[in-house]
Amino acid sequence: MELSKLHSPFGKLSDAGVFELHNLIMNNTTRCFRSAFTLMCVLACLTGCEQKQLPDGLVYCSEGNPESFNPQVVTSGTTIDATSHQIYNRLIDDDSIRNDFVPALATSWKVSDDGMTYEFTLREDVKFHTTPFFHPTRKMNADDVVFSFDRIVNSDNPFHNTALRGFPYFESIGFAKLIKSITKLDDYRVRFVLNHPDASFLANLATDFAVVLSKEYAEQLLQQKKPQLLDSQAVGTGPYQLVEYVKNEYIRYLRNPDYWGVQPEATQLVFDITPRSTVRLSKLIVGDCSISALPKAGELPVAREHDELEVDSRPGMNVAYWALNTQKPPFNDIRVRQALAYAIDKRSLLNAVYHDTAVVASGILPPSSWAYPNDATELSYDPQKAKELLASAGVKHLTIDIWAMPVARSYNPNPQKTAELLQADLNAVGIHVNIISFDWSVFTQRLANSDYDSVIIGWSADNSDPDNFFTPLLSCGSVNSHNNWAKWCNKDFDQLLSQAKDITDKEGRKQLYRAAEQIVGEQVPLIPLAYAQRMLLKRKTAPAVTLMPFGGISFDATTAANTSGGQH
Amino acid sequence: MGRYLLRRLNLFIATSLVLIAILFFATRLFPAELNYALSGIALPTSEQQLQIQHDFALDKSTLRQFFAYSAERLSGNFGISVTSQRPVSGELLGVLPASFELAFVAGLLALIVGVPLGVISALSRSKSLQKLIMAVTLTGYSIPVFWLGLLLSLWFGVQLGWLPISGQINLLYQIPKVTGFMLLDTLLFDGTYKWAAFIDALQHIIMPACTLAVLPFTVVVRITRTAMISVMNQTYIRAAEARGLSNTSIILKHALPNALIPLLKHLGLMLGPFASYAIVVEVIFSWPGIGAWLVSGIYQRDYTVIQGGIFAVALVIIFFSILIEVLYTAANPVSRKDMYGTN
Repeated sequence: MELSKLHSPFGKLSDAGVFELHNLIMNNTTRCFRSAFTLMCVLACLTGCEQKQLPDGLVYCSEGNPESFNPQVVTSGTTIDATSHQIYNRLIDDDSIRNDFVPALATSWKVSDDGMTYEFTLREDVKFHTTPFFHPTRKMNADDVVFSFDRIVNSDNPFHNTALRGFPYFESIGFAKLIKSITKLDDYRVRFVLNHPDASFLANLATDFAVVLSKEYAEQLLQQKKPQLLDSQAVGTGPYQLVEYVKNEYIRYLRNPDYWGVQPEATQLVFDITPRSTVRLSKLIVGDCSISALPKAGELPVAREHDELEVDSRPGMNVAYWALNTQKPPFNDIRVRQALAYAIDKRSLLNAVYHDTAVVASGILPPSSWAYPNDATELSYDPQKAKELLASAGVKHLTIDIWAMPVARSYNPNPQKTAELLQADLNAVGIHVNIISFDWSVFTQRLANSDYDSVIIGWSADNSDPDNFFTPLLSCGSVNSHNNWAKWCNKDFDQLLSQAKDITDKEGRKQLYRAAEQIVGEQVPLIPLAYAQRMLLKRKTAPAVTLMPFGGISFDATTAANTSGGQH
Repeated sequence: MGRYLLRRLNLFIATSLVLIAILFFATRLFPAELNYALSGIALPTSEQQLQIQHDFALDKSTLRQFFAYSAERLSGNFGISVTSQRPVSGELLGVLPASFELAFVAGLLALIVGVPLGVISALSRSKSLQKLIMAVTLTGYSIPVFWLGLLLSLWFGVQLGWLPISGQINLLYQIPKVTGFMLLDTLLFDGTYKWAAFIDALQHIIMPACTLAVLPFTVVVRITRTAMISVMNQTYIRAAEARGLSNTSIILKHALPNALIPLLKHLGLMLGPFASYAIVVEVIFSWPGIGAWLVSGIYQRDYTVIQGGIFAVALVIIFFSILIEVLYTAANPVSRKDMYGTN
């Protein structure tokens, strides 16, 4: 009793006190909020009103980590984008617009009448990059060119075996067997002698893979006993030199002050490595990058809503296809392969995956190639026929694995979705499908080592020569090169290809490639799906980028205005 | 106190050993050759093969192997990354500061906003204000962070285009790494665009930090509120009032410090979920910290990165839990009484 009496006045007092306190705090907090608000306004003003002083440069949002910094040892487009046209040069370049070869490091070249000897005359004013770890003492000369190609063809070259996975592109075209000798005639002249004539030889030298390395740098590395650095600490002759690479984050290049060609205007080039395409889009919108790679078709409407963005696109030299492992039953049965081709609806695929930005593929060669047969016909969608063919082959309860790439490629913006659509189509004819996927760098490795059924993949041309679509992808010689995913070998087909390489007459070659396409159409080692557009998203303030139908991206002689990245 | 600290140190070492043991056995379960999973060298030369065998005592008993493994890992040899072929320890040191920066800013944000709000909601007599604050915190507590992160980046990044939603800074700024904390590095940087770079870094951290701050913020508000209510009912508060102390001084000097003690304890308990939230946030906002690095390592089956990442994250959590516990004991006179009694 006493206690409660004592307590209650205290309680009331305390309640009243708390109430006052509350008022006081509330006043204080309003004041606090007000000052915080002012502070935020000031900050916003600092950030928003003031024009950002960005350092000069160009940021390109790329889609993945390069595997190496030397295009000789890879085939992946991501690596080519990051290296070939930025750090290096080739002897000659392939001008896609004029459809002709143009001088690069070589000023002129002569071909002997029998098509077996090629002589190149080199530029005399080309200097390799001067970097903290390498100071060139001489200009580029014939030694460097001989070294760059000797490394590929000569297994005794000390740098031949530092390429752990070999030289996949050169292996797929049988380069080592083609070359008889590479000799230095004098300091600025080089002679290539071939074992047999090859109409695609110049085109192969113009690919992004055939870059020229510094022999002096290689010798320095050999002395330092670090030969494996040749492919990662890159030294080249290109417009930009490599400064820093941080995995998963960025690659930074600086302008090469000694560049022999037209100096690029941007002093700095940064590849912002952003694997997810939605993130690339948002970075482009807020201005963290000025150009962004490989947009998904579904993102184009979003990009169009923003006035400051534009879409760059042109028909690509590529084909997306579904390769069947022809060495594994039941895919060694031609009827099963044909049934699979009839069972899939390419139109709905085009609509869902490419949002109708692509063209249905009728064969391997895309329409942008000069050898494209105008009368090409495609296998129609006919699930009934597919079922009949399967029944005649005696295949029941078929279950197949489809390997689908985890990343967007220029020929296929969404391989996962492609696989899901194929799964649905095949289910309709009674085939059960498992979709298999790994991260990109693991994907190709695992695929190469496994006994897969089929894979959704594709090919982007490296040069304008039609042979580039046939020999690396389907010839007998390429079965073990990890480009012929169908593991298909056909003597008649190979015969046609080598005939087409022996002659230089374009019309004659076109006829031979048409015949080759017909064999592919009948034998169905792979099922062509689509010819995609090459696309880039960019801010309008960003400079024009030359988007070629084939090969890697080039920022040569491109610039970004100072403000391109900063404005909101 | 000295004995108590020794005990905590002992706990730290013991827990770390258990952690190493788990990693040691888990490494054997990876679907890869053991020396590959340990070193990350894909095609070792016979020299390297011998070196790996020697370093990890692969030809000895399991116990010796465990000690060799612990010695290698504790001395910082995590092998080389399977995908990049660079030392994992170097990559780890490169990504850790960014994570600490994000966690620090988010934690600070949660405390600065959360504590005053908790106090207000405890002292307020307006039922609707209390309910509002509780409703907001409960909502914040139950929203999945990956959804919130995506939603925020969609609004502010894609639709409005106000704030950058990925990365640490516009990459055109070439900021040399000194501390690894981008905000500090831009301030230490001596160049014409120093302030522009700082503001750019600040803009980049706003979205991820706010997203990550939501969970600790809600917990801080709720714990502060409960603690404050119970403290305000203590007799010593009434005594202070009776002596005529000013209200501000009662709250700031007498009530709040005591209310913060349980908060400290809860912060320690929250470290685990906070770290996993941080990993998710880093992935969503492409924040170049250990979380994004670890997740990409997992996708790429990069066994050495997975081991190194898990080791570092777990070690950091163990260390900070124990640190907070020590701080809690030091700050809380009541718990000091039973310091000698149990563990």
